[in-house]
Amino acid sequence: MSQYWPFLVIGLFTGSIYGLAAMGVVLTYKTVGVFNFAYGAIAMFCAFTYWQLHDSWGLTAWVAMPILFLVVAPVLGVLLEALYLPLAGLSAEVLIVVSIGVLAALSALVPIVYGKQDRTLQAIFPTSTFALGAHFHVGYDQLGTLLVSLAVAAVLWALLRHTRFGTSTRAAVDNPDLADMVGVHGDNVRRSAWILSTMFAALVGILISPTQGLDVNQLVLVVIYAFAPAVFGRLVSLPLAYIGALVLGVVVSLLSKWANSGTLANLEAALPYLALFALLIIMGGRLKEAGASSRRLSVATRNTAGMGGGVRTRHWIVGVLGWRLRLERKLTVGLVGFALALFVPMAVPGPRLIDVSYAVVYALIALTLVVLTGWAGQISLAQFAFVGVGAFVAGHLSGSHGQHFVVAALVAMAIAAPLGILVGLPSLRLSGLYLALATLAFALIMDNVVFNRSDVSGGLTGITVPRPQIFGLSFSGRASFYELVMVVFGVVAVAAYAVRLGPIGRRLQIVRDSPLAASTVGVNLTVTKLVVFAVCGMVAALGGSFYGALQQAITPLDFMWSTSLTLLLLVVLGGRSVISGAVIAGAVFGIETVISNPQIHQYLPLAIAVGVIALAQEPEGTVALARRETLRVLSVLRPLPRRSSGRGSEIPSGADMAVAAGGPSVGSGRGH
Amino acid sequence: MGTETVLLAGEITVRFGGLVALEEVSLEVQAGCIAGLIGPNGAGKTTMFNVLTGLQEPTGGQVDYLGQDISRWPPHRRGRAGMARTFQRLALFSRLTVHDNLVASWESSHRGGVLGRGRGERVARVAEVMELLDLWPVADRLAGELSTGKGRMVELGRALCTDPRILLLDEPGSGLDANETAMFSAVLRAIVSGGSDPRHQATPPAILLVEHDMALVMDVCSSITVLDFGKVIARGTPGQVRGDPTVRAAYLGDASGF
Repeated sequence: MSQYWPFLVIGLFTGSIYGLAAMGVVLTYKTVGVFNFAYGAIAMFCAFTYWQLHDSWGLTAWVAMPILFLVVAPVLGVLLEALYLPLAGLSAEVLIVVSIGVLAALSALVPIVYGKQDRTLQAIFPTSTFALGAHFHVGYDQLGTLLVSLAVAAVLWALLRHTRFGTSTRAAVDNPDLADMVGVHGDNVRRSAWILSTMFAALVGILISPTQGLDVNQLVLVVIYAFAPAVFGRLVSLPLAYIGALVLGVVVSLLSKWANSGTLANLEAALPYLALFALLIIMGGRLKEAGASSRRLSVATRNTAGMGGGVRTRHWIVGVLGWRLRLERKLTVGLVGFALALFVPMAVPGPRLIDVSYAVVYALIALTLVVLTGWAGQISLAQFAFVGVGAFVAGHLSGSHGQHFVVAALVAMAIAAPLGILVGLPSLRLSGLYLALATLAFALIMDNVVFNRSDVSGGLTGITVPRPQIFGLSFSGRASFYELVMVVFGVVAVAAYAVRLGPIGRRLQIVRDSPLAASTVGVNLTVTKLVVFAVCGMVAALGGSFYGALQQAITPLDFMWSTSLTLLLLVVLGGRSVISGAVIAGAVFGIETVISNPQIHQYLPLAIAVGVIALAQEPEGTVALARRETLRVLSVLRPLPRRSSGRGSEIPSGADMAVAAGGPSVGSGRGH
Repeated sequence: MGTETVLLAGEITVRFGGLVALEEVSLEVQAGCIAGLIGPNGAGKTTMFNVLTGLQEPTGGQVDYLGQDISRWPPHRRGRAGMARTFQRLALFSRLTVHDNLVASWESSHRGGVLGRGRGERVARVAEVMELLDLWPVADRLAGELSTGKGRMVELGRALCTDPRILLLDEPGSGLDANETAMFSAVLRAIVSGGSDPRHQATPPAILLVEHDMALVMDVCSSITVLDFGKVIARGTPGQVRGDPTVRAAYLGDASGF
């Protein structure tokens, strides 16, 4: 028995830190309705700040700690509150996007502010050990951490239980409007929650960094461990979240006793994510999203108004005939753009052509997320896992097995389909935030269980992939390969465009607008969602086979969980509900690879993250922004008299449907 | 007007934890009839609708549709088989136009519709329903932007486009003004008498109506079931129900014009 004690201690030590993180995550979710994907990033930012204060500037802990906890963390909390305040009650999708945007922004900000050099953070407690019994040594830092964590958890619990802050919080959560009326200041409650949560994050950061290393990506990742316990507490119960974290910490630690290598070790690393995935599926229907009460209604209408913007103008101003024309114009622009793109190799020097090819392949992958998230309303934080599956399967087959590229890509797609269905399964019972968490867990499981295996991915050295040969044609040259991926993208984009306008597009839209109503008119939600997940997974895998062939050497790092988050951010930036959004996402990715200037390279991710946060509410992202600005400029240029008559003559009159479409005056006049 | 039973619910019970939402509620709707389901707020009417359309699994009881036990059918299968409903709180496809709401409904309920089969039939049927409910003037408005009254009409139209054998209408009259209500009851009668669709539909749909507007209910329904606290407290013709003392007691203090 005694050989297990050390693992128990380590488990309790790490578990108690995750417990703090889980409570911090739960705290803002239950008071503000924001699930903070950026929690790890905030902890990381605070840990770096502490390092700066303590290790770099040489302040003693007695000075650095108060600065961190009483100045830096509260300021950060207030900033976050201010950021989320205007978003209160918006759809889960928007909140998820913003919080991932914050994650990306902080991750990009830290190297800019604190530099890139390696560093370590000293443990705040002494690392020496004391003996407990004959064979059993406990570190003071472990004990100290556990005690601090327990004390802080107990204080928070008591605070919520026995003080005015606690009752106010509960009131503000139950019914914000009513709470306001009886004199509970929702703003104060929300602000306190953000500040407390950020202080917890700071504590997590300085407790965990000494053992996990002071590294941007590592710290963001570890805090995801805390998501499973948070879900275990249904995102509302602080004690359950804390206890869940302790249990998870101990189980992972005990497992590590047996698992030193091989599959079991992978499982150990993946356990928190497996737990998250399993919990989400098991708890399924019992998980309710926060703020589901009155606020949601206003949200729905607000959302509709926002999203309808483009469509409304389209319909009111030009009417059905014009609408058709406009769609054709869209298609024409797309096709002309495509035709021009085919000539890119003549204008772009060879090495740069690779970057352009990257952009095209990335756009193809981004397109799957446009369909899945923008059109069908299913959030996925795992799309690059499919890209990875496609790349490795096709890479192995066409590489070491010498298979035909087409066969390899088809097999890759065939394998991606059931995986897509697996990821889609949670979507049958979960939506919004919980679906996002389930897909995130899936991506992390793929990282740790599948892509980590050296027989799958060749380990960190990766595998090499040949350029394709199709029907006797070689696409090994840069130009020919570019033409190939461009044609594939063009075909897929046109297909997606056609589907969007037809019955299937309508089906995706109605499943998104009102799944309940859609099911009563005969839509099989299960089949619809799973097919969408499967098809999008397959096309992503197709993109993956080209990604591998383009890069010629691939490693697991190319498809890490965070690449899926980046994809989501770029798609949101470009415009998640339009095909051109995928093109822009690809272009931005291409630009990122092209830029060699380290300064710009450092600031670009930050700029992207900020752009995403700003555009999170706009389904057409940059596309909408560009259109709005163009219209504004044009409206200035256009002479006044012609403008009114021009519009007027476009209003069709008479025959059936056109009547309805005839401008605001006619339409609304009859409508009421 | 037949004596065929379209929908037969037998002793439906629904419990949410300790709360009994419905207790052994039975209900029958005959072809060609408008049946009413009334009761004070919280009596369990919408829960009953959810059970009938498969959105809520009952704790006990059985639902028969056209002589077939459909208790285990998922909602979409019931929808395709000809059960259509509207919602008390509008559940429109808000980002589609009014016209597309109806088109999507037709495509979803007809075999092969989502693959584009039967286009001609679809165009004709959708046009007919648009005409009947006077929706052409708003055909290209987004459904989410409509007034409640128009929204209710779109939901009704969407339901009709599935070519239903039975229509379950959940408080279609709430949010309608006097004019709209008058038009609405005329439309209901037209639907039941087959006026909605002279060409395509052999049998006009029966209607089960949940409604608070007593004038409307008394006006159009041929039989009425009254629920209170999840139990049936009375059933019969409008006249019988109106005179029933239990019903009056249940409605006392409930400002529903009784």
